[in-house]
Amino acid sequence: MNSKLRKCFLGIALGYVIILCGLFYWHLFADLGQHPANPRYYLMFRQARGSILDRHGDFLASSAGEDYKRVYATASLAHVVGYFHQRYGLTGLERLYHEELFSGRSLYTTLDLEIQIMVEEVLGDRVGCAIVLKPSTGEVLALVSSPTVDGNALDEFWPDYLEDLRSPFLNRITQGLYPPGSLIKPIVYGGALAQKLVDPAQIWVDQGALQIQNRTLSNSGGKALGAITTDQALAFSSNVVFARLAMDLGDSLLEQFLAFGLGSQTNFELSSQRGYVPPKASSPYALAQLGIGQGELLVTPLHMAMVVAAIANRGVMMKPYLIQELRGGLQMRQINRPQVLAEVMPEQVALIVRDAMVLAVQEGTAHEAVVPDLDLAAKTGTAQVGQGKDHAWFMGFAPSHQPEVAVVVLVEHGGFGGTVATPLGAQMIAKAIEIVDSEKGKR
Amino acid sequence: MQPLYRAWLEFTLWLGAMVFWLLLTQGLAIWWQPVVMWFVLVLLFGVTKWSGHPAQAVPLVGFAVFIGWLFLVRLDPNWAQQQFWGFLVGALAYLIGLFGPLLVFDAPILWACGSLGLLLMTLLFGHQVGGAKAWLTLGTVRFQPVELSRIFLVVYLARQFGERRSGWKTLLVLGVFLALLLWQRDLGPALLVFFVFCSLSLYVHFSWYTLSVYVVTSILGFVAAYTWFPHFSNRVLAWVWPWDYSDSKGYQILQGLFALEAGGVAGKGLGRGLAKVIPANHTDYLLVVIGEEFGLVGTFSLILVYLCLAFWAVQLLMDVEGEVQRTIGLGLILLLHGQVFLVVGGILRLLPFTGMTLPFVSYGSSSLVAQFLMLGMITSLGRAPK
Repeated sequence: MNSKLRKCFLGIALGYVIILCGLFYWHLFADLGQHPANPRYYLMFRQARGSILDRHGDFLASSAGEDYKRVYATASLAHVVGYFHQRYGLTGLERLYHEELFSGRSLYTTLDLEIQIMVEEVLGDRVGCAIVLKPSTGEVLALVSSPTVDGNALDEFWPDYLEDLRSPFLNRITQGLYPPGSLIKPIVYGGALAQKLVDPAQIWVDQGALQIQNRTLSNSGGKALGAITTDQALAFSSNVVFARLAMDLGDSLLEQFLAFGLGSQTNFELSSQRGYVPPKASSPYALAQLGIGQGELLVTPLHMAMVVAAIANRGVMMKPYLIQELRGGLQMRQINRPQVLAEVMPEQVALIVRDAMVLAVQEGTAHEAVVPDLDLAAKTGTAQVGQGKDHAWFMGFAPSHQPEVAVVVLVEHGGFGGTVATPLGAQMIAKAIEIVDSEKGKR
Repeated sequence: MQPLYRAWLEFTLWLGAMVFWLLLTQGLAIWWQPVVMWFVLVLLFGVTKWSGHPAQAVPLVGFAVFIGWLFLVRLDPNWAQQQFWGFLVGALAYLIGLFGPLLVFDAPILWACGSLGLLLMTLLFGHQVGGAKAWLTLGTVRFQPVELSRIFLVVYLARQFGERRSGWKTLLVLGVFLALLLWQRDLGPALLVFFVFCSLSLYVHFSWYTLSVYVVTSILGFVAAYTWFPHFSNRVLAWVWPWDYSDSKGYQILQGLFALEAGGVAGKGLGRGLAKVIPANHTDYLLVVIGEEFGLVGTFSLILVYLCLAFWAVQLLMDVEGEVQRTIGLGLILLLHGQVFLVVGGILRLLPFTGMTLPFVSYGSSSLVAQFLMLGMITSLGRAPK
């Protein structure tokens, strides 16, 4: 008899277990907070929300007025901080740290609002992007992608944004994929130096073009550079020399790319593309192409920013980051500390590459970047694309012996890197250092 | 018995904290109600124990009643006040169930007549409040006879099954009962009683043939109800595609799910949820208000209380001598827990939603009284271990 009762109890218990599973699911695993029919979603926009601040405590995003309208300090922040809008939803850090901001806590970022605005102004209405980092820590000081949507004016311009063929929603720093062009050469040079395949003072004869398996690879404009050292080859961006170095490196060239983090996830706070490094070079010509940053190779500007910061930081690559800490209520929570990702090249090699980049500014392709009293190291790039004008690249850092800022600039279809991107980059570096120094003086 | 006293002590501390909270935050004049409720519960506990019955259910049910009362205070103190009086009458009903010789006389015809008579009276003299015509008024007291009626019917059915004399007469009574309920458009209790009927019949004599007959009948009943009752077909549509009807049929079920999701693990805290957008937040949907403000912790512990209650009742039945008494006890247990399954399963989208109260928790004096009567009857079957 009792076994029948026991079965009845097990039946009832099974019913309750199913109910408990249902409760677990709806309480913990369902994601309904932003469902359009959920009144909590609308009410979210009618209450005070934690602010997002820059490294000095200046407001990047704050809730203002009686209706708690979200106000952003400048338009270009839409690509970093994101926006928070009842109709258009949440993006960027607003989305990533929604729970914390919603509960009234403030988010302190690594950005510097003054530098962000300066970079935005220097870039102007060109289609492109620029990022400023502190090489010794990996903190991102400014991140601008142009054109941008404006978090303060979504209502007015939303239809225009949707129709804009220049994709204002695309964050070119983390999502844009480009061939790196000559910006890859410091990596190739570093690899060849580390493997002792080349000496900085070694003399090469550059006749302007190179025959590889009945195909021709030539310098920019077919210009013959004559007898040059390897340092000068980098400074004048000799395709002939670097194609030969790449072929000397062979398959270890691809390993060198991977060691610098190309083609892999950056683990940055904002969602980023991986880029692409081919698993194998199909021919010596393909290898030569990779050595000058063409061919199948694709990177994001963020990847190149990590590379230039690693060279500036004497071969030690730091993890780039945007968020410092959360404050509010009773607690302060540190989110990030400077974190070493890898030692991507030996210190001596990094110093040689750096000196070659200084040479590029003094007499090479980055000569446009000369700014009085500024000790700048830089590399320019002109990436050929299938259609339209070339992409103009610039990467650099200063002061070269004790770098405070590293910058990457890309102008889409801008033309020649040395004349288009380089003046912008040099201006950004000079002004950023000025801002950093004046802030140091204040404190 | 030692752990039981400790449970009482903890319960009392919890209650004290609650009264303190009420004084601090609400400044309400009803702080004495939980105190009276506590004394009444202690009284019920003592009476049950000293009369030789197992008393463990009293603190369990007390917990559920207090949670419900607390949330009614939070929603509208007037409802809590009503619930308080309902609880006092319920305590009386519990004592009647415990000491009234209800289950002793072998007079099934009385139970059947009582059950059907109550329903008939509702149909003839009742009036409509909200959706269903389910209320009777006696002087100044208004109540829902269906709550009592279904207990009587289950006792009748269990007695017939227990005595092994169920036949066409039993089916006829059940049929009339279901027909009267469907006449009143009250699908929930009909479903519940049908569930208890099937379970009891299978408990008494299990056969695959009977089971398949019940499954087929349920499917036919489902199809028929879907075809003929727009009320029911709406519930089914809201169950399967609530997202498509978010501002009409599916509104209530979605608001319930949103509230549960918003509650998370620990809830937002008492009074901080968005209860006002949830229809029937004091009766059928009180659980989601608890879920939003006390989180998974709150709903989980409430369900655990019901599970403990089921375990306690089955334990109790195991020591009962006599097949008839045991069957009656089981029928009452199934009636109680079947109701929890239907209402919570409906809220969680495991079943189509059928409007019924959550036993001992939801607002509603009639159902509270009926459930206390049922609890008293179950307890009266048991003997405390010496």
